[in-house]
Amino acid sequence: MKSVKEVKRKEYYIFSPFLRIFHWIMVAMILVLFFTGLIITKPMNVSTTEPFFSITSIDLVRDIHFVAAFIFCASFILRIYGFIINKGDRLFPRVWEGHFYSETVEVALHYMLLKSHHASFLRNPLARMSYAALYVLVAIEILTGFAMYYMTNPSGTGGMLFGWVNVILGSEMMTHIVHHYVAWFIILFAIGHFYMVIRAEFMEGESEVSSMFSGKKVLAHVPKDANELD
Amino acid sequence: MKQRESLWEAYLKRGFSRRNFLKGCVALTSLMGLSSDMFNKVVEAAETKPLPVVVWIHGHECTGCDESFIRSGAPLASDVVLTSIALEYDHLLSAACGAPFEAHLDEVIQKYNGQYILAVEGAVSTKDNGIYCMSGGHTFTHLLDKAAKGAAAIIAYGSCAAYGGIQAAKPNPTGSSGIKMFVGGKPVVNVPGCPPIPEVMTGVVMHVALFGSIPPLDGDGRPKQFYGNRIHDTCYRRPFFDAGMFAETFDDAGSKAGWCLYKLGCRGPETYNSCGNLRWWQGMSYPIQSGAPCIGCANAHFWDEAPFTDRLPKYDKIGDADKIGVGLAVATTAGVVGHAVASVVQRNQRDNLLEDENHDEH
Ligand code: SF4
Ligand code: SF4
Repeated sequence: MKSVKEVKRKEYYIFSPFLRIFHWIMVAMILVLFFTGLIITKPMNVSTTEPFFSITSIDLVRDIHFVAAFIFCASFILRIYGFIINKGDRLFPRVWEGHFYSETVEVALHYMLLKSHHASFLRNPLARMSYAALYVLVAIEILTGFAMYYMTNPSGTGGMLFGWVNVILGSEMMTHIVHHYVAWFIILFAIGHFYMVIRAEFMEGESEVSSMFSGKKVLAHVPKDANELD
Repeated sequence: MKQRESLWEAYLKRGFSRRNFLKGCVALTSLMGLSSDMFNKVVEAAETKPLPVVVWIHGHECTGCDESFIRSGAPLASDVVLTSIALEYDHLLSAACGAPFEAHLDEVIQKYNGQYILAVEGAVSTKDNGIYCMSGGHTFTHLLDKAAKGAAAIIAYGSCAAYGGIQAAKPNPTGSSGIKMFVGGKPVVNVPGCPPIPEVMTGVVMHVALFGSIPPLDGDGRPKQFYGNRIHDTCYRRPFFDAGMFAETFDDAGSKAGWCLYKLGCRGPETYNSCGNLRWWQGMSYPIQSGAPCIGCANAHFWDEAPFTDRLPKYDKIGDADKIGVGLAVATTAGVVGHAVASVVQRNQRDNLLEDENHDEH
């Protein structure tokens, strides 16, 4: 085994600071939104008999939930700005390129332990697919969330913009339920994502974790899509 | 048929004073949810507009909306029916019956073609050509079709006419649905509720009667003045919600103290109705005030959203989404750990193989 210093490595800059900041805002806000959301659905038990002394303020928890939601939505501005100024940031996987699918299958076979390895990628196609799926889940949360939030005034601008979601889902109660269920799927994604990046970092030498801090992937091997940086 | 009179003429005929008439108009204005500067318009309309002809038909339903309607206190339902509108046909309130009664309906439809208000209670039963709801030897779909054609405006009273109601609950054996798709594009005012609040019922028909136009509606076709707010946003228990003080069971101290019923499944946060501000029986009470969580009776599909006493649906013994979610999260974590172990084993095998190959080469 060679020591770490002896191995020749190359730097690949992919993630702009905007994407990275967006990513960590998303992590924090998803956690805040998830736990405040659980509390809003099932508030804690009452701790007092006088409203004045109550420390279980659902009003406050709701406000935190709403503020976190607005921060999360606003942070997409960073994500899109990064996409515009930096070639490395991509919004969606390149599903229109034929090799994308064969590569996805290869990676999937490896993750199912049916193949001993898969080609190295700067942008792992299977992971990219899962992020696209996450964006779909987040989009559902945003739509259903605002559909509930703005309906305090159904004829206001917000109500006009998002009210149709309640109509499509059949009723506002269904909107609540969809919002709640999808939140759980996001958490399941987060567990899987957390594991997969750690696995890639420490088992495959892919600097999957460190690149979300530094923006760079420092690799000893040459990834298959090394030429796709610009 | 006699000459149609206006409200003022009806008052005169009964020997009421002008003062009485104006008082009545003040009451009407506030009832219809209009601001006081509309008062002049109301008086004008009441003086000149002939009382509107109303045809009131009943479909797939329990007639509970009528039970509610006849208890309207202001205006009294009797005043509405006897002096404020010309109710020409009503399955439930009419004394007449049989063939002459049905013939009368045809007569009215012809005579006031394009002018009468059609009030519909009850859902349309569509399965098997509508045979699950018949009256006068015809299916209700036939009756609705016939009556809707000549109507100036249609009022859908109750959650059945608006959305299909209880009989539309899964699996909906009679194929029941709201009337909107079956009236040939005529304007429909949805007045949902199971039943709607009596004063809301009379208020809406009076608005249409006096102004000859339908009241301002929201995106779902409901009059804004009665369905513009969520119960939750007008509920007098809201401070307890905000402070996080909830009744946990129907007989605990919180429930006796009148705390928020959210944890008992209250649907106030997703229900649009006037229960919180108008209340029932002339402001006496409403379900939440009596300690019963709102079941969202004015919402589409409320009948399929059991359990009414919980915020989340339950899946038999497995529990609700949160229990399942925790279970799935634990299972995912376990799966991930298992996968990690298997991956390490696989990598070691791979490295051993590579090493062997290297040995062979040298
Ligand atoms: S009782 Fe129902 S409507 Fe009233 S504050 Fe509580 S949840 Fe809202
Ligand atoms: S409180 Fe809710 S369930 Fe009860 S009558 Fe009002 S809208 Fe219907």
